Amino acid sequence: MACVYIPVQNSEEEVRVALDQLPRDATDILDILKAEQAPLDLWLIIAREYFKQGKIEQFRQILEEGSSPEIDEYYADVRYERIAILNALGAYYSYLGKIETKQREKEEHFILATQYYNKASRIDMHEPSTWIGKGQLLLAKGDVDQAFAAFKIVLDGDRDNIPALLGQACVEFNRGKYSNSLEMYKRVLQVYPGCPAAVRLGIGLCRYKLGQFERAKQAFERVLQLDPENVEALVALGIVDLQSNEGWSYLVDAVKFMYLFLLSCMLLVAASGIWGAMEKMRRAFDIYPYCATALNYLANHFFFTGQHFLVEQLTETALAASTHGSTRAHSYYNLARSYHSKGDYEKAGLYYMASVKEINKPQEFILPFYGLGQVQLKLGDFKSSLSNFEKVLEVYPENCETLKAVAHIYLQLNQTTKAHEALKKATRIDPRDPEAFLDLGELLISTDSGAALDAFKTARSLLKKANEEVSIELLNNIGVLHFEKGEFELALQTFKEALGDGIWLKLINTEPQSALVGGSYPDPIREALYQPMDSCLAPRKYKDMQLFHNLEKDGISVDFPWDKITTLSNLARLFEQLHKTETASLLYRLILFKFPEYVDAYLRLAAIAKSRNNVSLSIELIHDALQVDDKNPDALCMLGDLELKNDDWVKAKDTFRAAKDASNGKDSYATLCLGNWNYFAAVRSEKRAPKLEATHLEKAKELYTKVLVEHPANMYAANGAGVVLAEKGQFDIAKELFTQVQEAASGSVFVQMPDVWINLAHVHFAQGNFSLAIKMYQNCLRKFYYNTDNQILLYLARTHYEAEQWQDCKKTLLKAIHLAPSNYTLRFDTGVALQKFSASTLQKTKRTVDEVRATVAELKNAVRVFSQLSAASNLQFHGFDEKKIETHVGYCKHLLEAAKVHCDAAELEDQQNRHRLELARQAAIREEESRVAEEQKKVKLEKRKQEDELKKVMQQEQHLERIKEHWKSSGSKRKDRAQSGDEEGAHGERRRRKGSSKKRKRDKKTEAQMDDQDEYEDDNANTNYYEPENHQVHNNQVDDDNDDPQDLLAAAGLEDSDADNDPAAPSSNTGRRIRGWSESEDDEEPEKRQPSTSPPVRDNSVDMQLTDGE
Amino acid sequence: MKLAWLRSLETCHQDCVWACTWLPASDKSAGLLLTGSLDETVKLWNPDDLSLVRTNTGHCLGVVSVAAHPSGRIAASASMDSFIRVFDVESNNTIATLEAPPSEVWQMQFDPRGTTLAVAGGSSASVKLWDTAEWKLVSTLSIPRPEGSKPSDKGNNKKFVLSVAWSPSGRQLACGSMDGSISVFDVQRAKFLHHLDGHTMPVRSLAYSPLDPRVLVSGSDDECIHMYDAEGKTLLTSMSGHSSWVLSVDVSPDGAAIASGSSDRTVKLWDPKMRAAVQTMTNHTDQVWGVKFEAVGGGARGSLLASVSDDKSISLYNYS
Repeated sequence: MACVYIPVQNSEEEVRVALDQLPRDATDILDILKAEQAPLDLWLIIAREYFKQGKIEQFRQILEEGSSPEIDEYYADVRYERIAILNALGAYYSYLGKIETKQREKEEHFILATQYYNKASRIDMHEPSTWIGKGQLLLAKGDVDQAFAAFKIVLDGDRDNIPALLGQACVEFNRGKYSNSLEMYKRVLQVYPGCPAAVRLGIGLCRYKLGQFERAKQAFERVLQLDPENVEALVALGIVDLQSNEGWSYLVDAVKFMYLFLLSCMLLVAASGIWGAMEKMRRAFDIYPYCATALNYLANHFFFTGQHFLVEQLTETALAASTHGSTRAHSYYNLARSYHSKGDYEKAGLYYMASVKEINKPQEFILPFYGLGQVQLKLGDFKSSLSNFEKVLEVYPENCETLKAVAHIYLQLNQTTKAHEALKKATRIDPRDPEAFLDLGELLISTDSGAALDAFKTARSLLKKANEEVSIELLNNIGVLHFEKGEFELALQTFKEALGDGIWLKLINTEPQSALVGGSYPDPIREALYQPMDSCLAPRKYKDMQLFHNLEKDGISVDFPWDKITTLSNLARLFEQLHKTETASLLYRLILFKFPEYVDAYLRLAAIAKSRNNVSLSIELIHDALQVDDKNPDALCMLGDLELKNDDWVKAKDTFRAAKDASNGKDSYATLCLGNWNYFAAVRSEKRAPKLEATHLEKAKELYTKVLVEHPANMYAANGAGVVLAEKGQFDIAKELFTQVQEAASGSVFVQMPDVWINLAHVHFAQGNFSLAIKMYQNCLRKFYYNTDNQILLYLARTHYEAEQWQDCKKTLLKAIHLAPSNYTLRFDTGVALQKFSASTLQKTKRTVDEVRATVAELKNAVRVFSQLSAASNLQFHGFDEKKIETHVGYCKHLLEAAKVHCDAAELEDQQNRHRLELARQAAIREEESRVAEEQKKVKLEKRKQEDELKKVMQQEQHLERIKEHWKSSGSKRKDRAQSGDEEGAHGERRRRKGSSKKRKRDKKTEAQMDDQDEYEDDNANTNYYEPENHQVHNNQVDDDNDDPQDLLAAAGLEDSDADNDPAAPSSNTGRRIRGWSESEDDEEPEKRQPSTSPPVRDNSVDMQLTDGE
Repeated sequence: MKLAWLRSLETCHQDCVWACTWLPASDKSAGLLLTGSLDETVKLWNPDDLSLVRTNTGHCLGVVSVAAHPSGRIAASASMDSFIRVFDVESNNTIATLEAPPSEVWQMQFDPRGTTLAVAGGSSASVKLWDTAEWKLVSTLSIPRPEGSKPSDKGNNKKFVLSVAWSPSGRQLACGSMDGSISVFDVQRAKFLHHLDGHTMPVRSLAYSPLDPRVLVSGSDDECIHMYDAEGKTLLTSMSGHSSWVLSVDVSPDGAAIASGSSDRTVKLWDPKMRAAVQTMTNHTDQVWGVKFEAVGGGARGSLLASVSDDKSISLYNYS
């Protein structure tokens, strides 16, 4: 029984204190110690005993009393003991600090410890044990360099100081100077051969670090001999056996926390280990069955080895064993992670939640927040997930993974700007993370394709730098973005890179003749590709699959993986854009050969066929597509459009309806098509029924508005709405709309909206702003049609006509005929324009002889144009009313005769003028007689020429007369009826004749009363100028003595049918124009619009150019 | 195979230039370039410096086609009023005025021996052949109506004939229609042989290869240039690359290259062996309505190619 004896002051007696019977209340002992002024070493002994017994409170009480100022004063000369007491306190607080996990408390402990040591140093700054204590403290604080200095001071004084040596060894180990560390440990062993096993453990670790595995193993084994339960040695032996490289970094950690955490850290090392080596570790675990931390780390190991049931058991044990918040948080985290990785998000979420609840501050242990965020994201709870990720970001504001996750959530919550910010930040923090750039690119694709492209390109170059495979999707996206920007060459390169090598490359690159002339080997691909084909089959080549069959027969694989379809089809789309249509069709067919269910390829082929005017093949291809998916709205819309083209109105409507139904009304394109259909229906009806028209227009408007509500940015719907507005006469609003659409439509290569230009021009026209309208039409023609659209030329001509620019009008019409020679309407219009020009010239009060001559020439042309038409009408090339043409012919001839009078008069006047001039000149300059004579000669010559010309005219007229005679004999019956003045009858006949084609006839009366606004949109197509009232005016002038133009016309054998039917004043400009334009409406659509599905972004490229009508 | 731009003349006409052809050198004059325009004139040019030799007037409405007699002494021009004016190149005297109502007149070509003028007859769905000695209509080569259609059908409108070309031997003749079909005739027997299908839009220009009489080149609004074996009735190749209608095609005198003019404002030179465009000239600013090789290559200087356009200009290139 160990006892201490406290000497009683001023006597020889002593108080005996049995160390194992120390009073529970330390105050009793303290009273004795103070009263007897016991030596301080006794204080220490008693305090130490308390400590040994685990009575920490008493231990502290005695030591704190023993270091109080009054003791200092009393025992001022007892230095060593005072220092020892202070050092003991310092060590105690160092220890507390070391094991404390909460940062604030930890710091407080360390501060106290430092105070005690400093106090000790003040008593004797050379005391080695103080320095050792300080070294330990610094080591615990992780301040390795200062710890080194502290230990060095001690060792400089006594090179064999064991604690200092051990401390220094530890410092050296932490600094990675293992051989130095080993030297220290060895010296300890030399100085103190009976040292505890821990020293040998240090030697083993050093040797292990130095790669001397055998010696390390020996050292560990020696430790185990001395102390079979030494966990560290067990673990270390395990590691040595594992020979695991990955363990090294953990080992370094392990040494850092050697004092308490060594065990657990070793187990962590084991986490990356192999099962066989785990035996020893499990023994270690057996020794400390309730060491929750160890359990956690062991669980961690099993998590990584994928043995989830063990993880669960271990962590549950750990949870039972520990009440310490941080440890429990770890345990829950392990458990949650295990479930998380198994995909059991519900349970994982619960455990993450439990883990989070154990944590006071996210700073301490952030991982469960991240995990919880992930799980909630997975479960679709974006808001909670976001708040958790934001907590992670509070601690680690620059964590890229979290930033990306947050960006993803923002995207899901439609907060694109915030998502954008987060991703931007992520890419800024780690400019080498391809994934962040990928995400950024995807985010930007719809808003800022240029920035998206940059992001994708960065991602690509990063991946390439890291030698990682660049995914086909990424390359595809880059390609599409280049494509959109119109950088076709770059797009081509990118697509090719994405696709790599394969049959497609051969199909694209095989040239008709081998580069090696003469030595050309038989190349089956070339043969298959460049085989001449029977021209009968040529129109069907977009369906030809024989090529691929042949190739397969030749043993050439035409396979390609499914993930390349998209890119392949984009490449084909690119070839289309580059007008390499043959290559494009080849690729589409290749896709269909292997994947016949890829609808888009059918649709593109159909679109190609359609653009080539091959309607039947196009329809066939769409039916193929519909066989794959009979509810495909795109295919249905395209079909409807083609049916419209074939003039199959009812069918088209059904098809559009089906398309709309198939997409549950969500496909705005189908809705748009239906809107267009209604609009056309409104303006096409044979007999104009205002009620029906209004219904259709209303319906069209409703449909357009519906689309606009869903997609405010839909340009086609806006355009349609504008058309309906214009139709109702609200020109200013319509103009506004069109202008906005026009602005929006400029930019992408995929959005081509010439229609809005045309509509805008129409509005200008309707508002009488001819010069603007002309400019707009011309720009549109040039920008979108390479000047090839005769329809727009017709609009242009009409505008010139209204602006009374006769020559421009004529030239424009001639250009249109040149482009569309078989369009007889254009010829008729030309005739009318010529006639009108002549009439207006003759109307002028002042005209030169040249003008009159030109008029005569144009009149002759007009006569010729009309007579040709008349002749053609016999052959039924076109649907003109014969009688009407005759009327024109007759009228022109009549004008011609009148013109002759004018011509003569003008000529006479001209001659007289000349004569007068001549006389004057003769009088003035008689001396230059010779020159004058010459001039006279010239005048005579000219006169003769003019006479010749007139003669020719007469001849031609006679010729015409003959032709007319011919008609009379062949069509007398019809003519009779026409002459009876039954205009309606004649029209009826015409209508019957044209019954099969879609032409809109209007009741004349309605037309005449229609107002200006209405007419503009509908009638732009119609360019027959038939203007009897103008003729009347003219006649009045020609025959001054005749006051009744109607009589004159009747006398001339002309029936002014319109005048009969039209009670309204013919002088009204509105009425005039309407009648002028309304006569025939061959094959024209009043409005053209081009709704198209969304342009190809990334995935597929159905960019159907569905032109309405025609 | 290369085109080198030599010179251009801006506003050589007052309006769109729609037709061009080369007049071979005759005993009286050197080779000349003949152009026709919407401004109702036909002009003759000296190819050396593109100086104007003469302006012929007398047409009404635009001049749509010009043709040169192989002798180089006679030429014909046709306008939209459907008159053909045949004139003496040197004196500009009108030799004949041809008309075959109600047929329109589009492209024309003299046969290689110069005995016949073939005229694409528009809505008459036929090619009219005129004898060049007496200037009489000697034959009408009609495209047969599709089977099952009645004569009264308006469908024939689709066979509207736009373009015409003689085979180098003068035995065959091909014409192109609005519906994209090409019809081949045996001239001597005045017999329709067969159709060449493949185009689906108007065929505005045809040209036989001067070396291989079987090879016929066609240009169409469907943006494609086709090469057919006109006798074997097979499509040899289809070449795409123009971004708008192909308005005019011609085969080089050595038969190795094809030139094309398009409404996409470009002139392209094609290598039929590679089936690809080897060169694109972008000097025109509007539709290129005519491209024509000078029939006889001038030895070292290669042969000339002329192109005319809606931009009112003529361009000359050296082909080598």
